[in-house]
Amino acid sequence: MLVTRKTGFLQKGYMIEVFKGLFITMKHFFFSKKVTIQFPEERREYSNRFRGLHYIKAVNGVENCTACMLCPTVCPAECIHIVAGERDDKEKYPVKFEIDVLRCCFCGMCEEACPKDAIKLSNIYEMSIRERRVYDKDFLVEQRGSK
Amino acid sequence: MPKCIIDGKEVEFIPGENVVEAAKRAGVEVPVFCYHPGLTVVAQCRMCAVEIEKMPKIQTGCSTKVTEGMVIKTQTENVKKARSSVMEFLLVNHPLDCPICDKSGECDLQDNSFKFGSPYMRSTEERRAYVDLDMGPVIQKNMNRCIHCTRCIRFGDEIAGIHEMVALKRGNNTEISTIDGKPLETDYAGCYADVCPTGSLTLKDFRFNKRAWFLKKTATICEGCSRGCNMELHHENNVAHRCIPRVNMDINKYWMCDEGRFNYQYIKDELRISQPRVLNGGEQQSAEWAIAISRARAALAGKKAVVLVGTDLTNEEGKILLEFLPKYLKGTPVFHFGTPGVTAVADDAPADRILKRKSKTANLHGIEKLGFKGLSVIPSGTEAVLVIRAGRAQIPDLTGVKNRVGIGVFDQSQTEDWLVVLPGQAFAEKNGTIVNYEGKEQKYKKALNPPENSKPLSETLMLWMNSQISGGVS
Repeated sequence: MLVTRKTGFLQKGYMIEVFKGLFITMKHFFFSKKVTIQFPEERREYSNRFRGLHYIKAVNGVENCTACMLCPTVCPAECIHIVAGERDDKEKYPVKFEIDVLRCCFCGMCEEACPKDAIKLSNIYEMSIRERRVYDKDFLVEQRGSK
Repeated sequence: MPKCIIDGKEVEFIPGENVVEAAKRAGVEVPVFCYHPGLTVVAQCRMCAVEIEKMPKIQTGCSTKVTEGMVIKTQTENVKKARSSVMEFLLVNHPLDCPICDKSGECDLQDNSFKFGSPYMRSTEERRAYVDLDMGPVIQKNMNRCIHCTRCIRFGDEIAGIHEMVALKRGNNTEISTIDGKPLETDYAGCYADVCPTGSLTLKDFRFNKRAWFLKKTATICEGCSRGCNMELHHENNVAHRCIPRVNMDINKYWMCDEGRFNYQYIKDELRISQPRVLNGGEQQSAEWAIAISRARAALAGKKAVVLVGTDLTNEEGKILLEFLPKYLKGTPVFHFGTPGVTAVADDAPADRILKRKSKTANLHGIEKLGFKGLSVIPSGTEAVLVIRAGRAQIPDLTGVKNRVGIGVFDQSQTEDWLVVLPGQAFAEKNGTIVNYEGKEQKYKKALNPPENSKPLSETLMLWMNSQISGGVS
């Protein structure tokens, strides 16, 4: 379709609009708060509900987990692998508790399903790794948060 | 057939049947704890309460016989109130340890509490606690979870024929235990775990092994003796985890012996031979199939040989052997073997008053029907023997026979000095038909994948037919 544009006086004065736009740009450039932060030195506040690196809550050095297998049941990524066992001070405990973290989608359903308040997703989000990593039990029982 | 009315539906019933069974047939669920169709009725849990017209109070469904024209209501306010009250009383002392309990997922108490109980708990009192004594190698007891249904006591009395479980003390302090805390003696101890509606009696073998909802269930037949009990094999990711009896009123009813229940374990045994193995200079080593088969042929060729066929093979495998042996091992005498002391169908007799039979292999009757003869003694002067079995038949004394070749499921400790062992498939790893002692044919289906390098008997024999006898015999 052929479009015929008006070429009257008002249209010829487009420079006004250009300066208007430039003014907005300059206003943001000089006077507004900056969006980026200097990451390693500065850190952002995250919500308490943020779902980051996993850990298993322990009370007095004993993990809360009883290997009830509800988290592998509910896990949509099937990334949790537990082997249950028995020891003197605890009737049932996880002998092996592994999270294949590359499969994990951080949905937090394990946290929600846990009847013993054991598995938690902490606020830690720096998890970049060089090779495929499976979080084992020794790694997971380190207390990384206060959830 | 006479008729009654359950929840407005007209239902036919067998005279003498109780309300629970009649309702089950009509598709109406009446929750039960102490009632078990295979045991006597005691009506003490009161969970099966139903309202019956013209009766002033609610009645227990398990102890009430249905009569012609009876009008039964299972969904009235009164009944619902009674059920949820019973649930509340039962849960007063029941610990909330479902995450730990092996029964969770298949627990009657859990299911009924979910369906008929109240989600709120009113009691704040402390729950009772017991110290549990050991109950022997099969059953793990946790008295805290018990709801005193006495199914286990009745099972011992009526089915296992041994009064070993008793209820001590009274009321709230009732404790179910063995007499004087002795370990269980019966050979049917696994059934205690099956009848228990809660997690008080669980299998030690299955303890913390797998949660019930992960298990896949395949209907199969026990290969422990010639009774051929129906059972369910529970497995996940190609690993067998347990066996439980499957109801078949003609053969095993609801029960199963421990020997059959734990027989599946050889399937996942570490010592089970899963690669063809040949003897090289006094030591067995894994070998290629082609090499192993030609070695096996060489070991039998030109010698006075005997073929032993296990009575744990299926009818199909027996039939293949009937075709194969006269053609490719001409003139070799063939015998069947399975249990020492049971060489023929005539020797097979009940081993106890419940289920067990003397023949410890499932298909003695089928294999004999196909025309194989029983082995009493290995003929003297035998130089070579070919043993074909599926894992259950007991290998007879082969001392004096130098060249031994095996096809099927073997244990490394059994076959250390055998010339060749060709791995085969166990009962849960193949389809087949077996014939029990009454002549009943039963089929079972493959539940697990066999070890990677094993072959079914038909394939092994096919390779045998197409192979050459190798020159070098070790």
